[in-house]
Amino acid sequence: MRYENPRLSGATPETGSRSPALSINLDPRTKLILVLAFSVMIIRTGQVGWLWAEVGIIVGCILAVREGWAYLRWLRPVSALVASWFIISWWAFDLPAAVSASLRLLALTSAFFLFFRATAPEDLGNALVKSGVPYTFAFVLVTSMQFVPIISRKVQNIVDAQRSRGIPLEPGLGLIWPQRQSKVPPILALLAPLLIQAFQLADDLAEAMEARGFGREGRTFMQDFRLGMADWLVVAVAGIILVVAGTGISS
Amino acid sequence: MSSVIDIRNLHYRYPNPRVHWVLEGIDLQIAAGEYVLLCGASGSGKSTLCRTLNGLIPHFHGGLLEGQVEVAGLNVRDHPVSELFAHVGMVFQNAEAQLFNSTVRQELAFGLESLGLSRPEILRRVAESAEIAGITRLLERIPHQLSGGEKQLVIIAAALALHPQIIVLDEPYANLDPAHVKRVRQALRNIHQQGTAIFVAEHRLQHVIADAERMVVLHRGRVVLDGPVRKILAQADLPSLGLHSPPVVALGRELEILPLPLCVGELVQALGQMDLPRQLPDLAEGENRISHEQGFRRQSLGASLLQVKDLGFSIPDKPQREEILRDVDLEVNAGECLAVVGANGSGKTTLIKHFNGLYRPQRGWVRVMGLDTRRERVSRLARHVGIAFQNPNDQIFQFQVREEIEVGACTLDCYDATWIDDLIAMFQLEPLVHRSPYRLSEGEKKRVAFAAALGARPKILVLDEPTAGQDWYFRRTLGDLINRLVAQGHTIILVTHDLEFAEVYAQQWIVLGDGRVQTRGTPQKVMADDELMQRSGLEATQAFQLRQVLKHVASKEKTKPHEI
Repeated sequence: MRYENPRLSGATPETGSRSPALSINLDPRTKLILVLAFSVMIIRTGQVGWLWAEVGIIVGCILAVREGWAYLRWLRPVSALVASWFIISWWAFDLPAAVSASLRLLALTSAFFLFFRATAPEDLGNALVKSGVPYTFAFVLVTSMQFVPIISRKVQNIVDAQRSRGIPLEPGLGLIWPQRQSKVPPILALLAPLLIQAFQLADDLAEAMEARGFGREGRTFMQDFRLGMADWLVVAVAGIILVVAGTGISS
Repeated sequence: MSSVIDIRNLHYRYPNPRVHWVLEGIDLQIAAGEYVLLCGASGSGKSTLCRTLNGLIPHFHGGLLEGQVEVAGLNVRDHPVSELFAHVGMVFQNAEAQLFNSTVRQELAFGLESLGLSRPEILRRVAESAEIAGITRLLERIPHQLSGGEKQLVIIAAALALHPQIIVLDEPYANLDPAHVKRVRQALRNIHQQGTAIFVAEHRLQHVIADAERMVVLHRGRVVLDGPVRKILAQADLPSLGLHSPPVVALGRELEILPLPLCVGELVQALGQMDLPRQLPDLAEGENRISHEQGFRRQSLGASLLQVKDLGFSIPDKPQREEILRDVDLEVNAGECLAVVGANGSGKTTLIKHFNGLYRPQRGWVRVMGLDTRRERVSRLARHVGIAFQNPNDQIFQFQVREEIEVGACTLDCYDATWIDDLIAMFQLEPLVHRSPYRLSEGEKKRVAFAAALGARPKILVLDEPTAGQDWYFRRTLGDLINRLVAQGHTIILVTHDLEFAEVYAQQWIVLGDGRVQTRGTPQKVMADDELMQRSGLEATQAFQLRQVLKHVASKEKTKPHEI
């Protein structure tokens, strides 16, 4: 069973903010610009010390908005990814290269983790539409983000159902070897139900959206997105980051 | 009166050429402000008919549509869904897919934004429809984290915000517990009072008949009955149409009460004004006599198969630790059929995931056939406890039904061909063994999943919400099967909020609420405790309420001095 923390989000029309403690009442576009600028800086950073500092800044921000628990939970699978990335680059290059490559990966994914936790998907979608991105494109992006938790819940249900009748769906190489008298690899027992249900869900979703007028011309928006003072400040900070990334720490 | 819906001689079939006509000559007019119940067994075409009403058929699903469907004067063939959707609010079965925004407020606003309304108008309508549906305090919540009933209310409110002339609901009560059914019913009554027509497709009649004005029965793609609810219920031969009379209606018909009572309150009133017959009809619902006999036969308990002691479970990495189970104690003996009942979210599914080690006890312990689940592998425990979860689609992955049933036994190394044959015979799956399980109906898939759970010959079979969304015919077949399995010495645990079913087929109930076992006892004993039922978010079945009423009336009759 998985439970999500309520997502931090921007302002809602009447109540202002519903985020706890330190709220992030920035325009979603501002957050996007900031995370992109930060990513450029991470990619351009060469020195390991600076990379550590960047990871530290992001983790600090995550703690400040009280997303520490969610971050830890998210870190479990990601740390495996980072570790394998570390091994691969150590094998391909050398130890220092491996350290900076895996730190970079950690910093990048953490930055985007923070961004997605702090931005309600359809806020982002609506803001993108306002800045000229076609509505259908933005909406597809947004809904696919929306459905990640549902799909992960489905995966859990399938794993539970199959394990209950003896099909071993524990992580590991056993997933691709047929067990004992059975002829099929266990991973199929996960993938087949998952794919079929994902298609079904996509179909039902398309139908439900159609029934609420998705794609009709002349759409309006309940929420008004305007860049405020804070937004311009943050955009300026992002600009500075970009300049620094272009000149300073890369050497 | 003007018609909101005007259907004339409608024929329809899906694009798949192998499928026959799903709708075969439907004529139906619905007037503004009517409350109509559409009923019929699974596969009678209810969902298909609903989808023609806003043009999803034919525009979204394709296929061949003949005849004419007019919605608010617009022919659905000539007008796309984007022009029709504001006239017909749609509430489908799959709640998950209908919630695609990140707050409830945005969910309600989505359709209004599509309409291109101004911002103040959107805000006004969102507030108004939330008020009517009773979900104002949920507006800032994340839709996917709501309970099943709350999700249903959000979807209804989103439809209502469009100010449609009619709201169409496809089996809105399929997965709801009694407390949530009540809330949704109330919301629909409120909406109806505001003048919006309501069209509910549902086969569990007792939730709708007291609210609806008119009843339309669909059978094999045709409207076979159409008229005022009381008139239809008084005359129709419901079982032949795959429907089941609610107990109140059955009793009303037997006692020839006119007008026919549709809820317990009406029946009580009618009984007060009439002479009671000498012999009161047996209210054991007709279908459950077998299990009652069995209940009496079961005098000595079998060996103890499963013990749960002081079991506690909370969601691991949540800052404010939310306790799902605390101090659960229970014991299951061989040869009994037990029902774990409780409202949605009472921890029923969490509990059964402890029976085969999917969850390890955080506190306390669980023993299955003497094995401690804290130490045993799931695959070892799965030989003793077979669990079939609610959604059969979570497990189907083979190309043939037979393979699907035997795959568990194969991986557990206890494949026995004759046992599999027995199972196939018992679950009446012979005609389907070589078919692809993906192509079966939901009811058939469920039967396959139940058989698969028994593939490794476990001592205990656990069925999680086996009747959710299933029609009367399925329930009856499943009930017979449970009786047969128990007679053969199997131990069955039903996990359900469907008390009508649990009352008939389980001898003992375990009520789960607030993370604890609230009580254990016969269904009669449990339901007699009003305070407990209310506290647990449950409601006594209609059959039980009727028995109480009749007992009460009979005792009054006895004490009443005879007048001459």
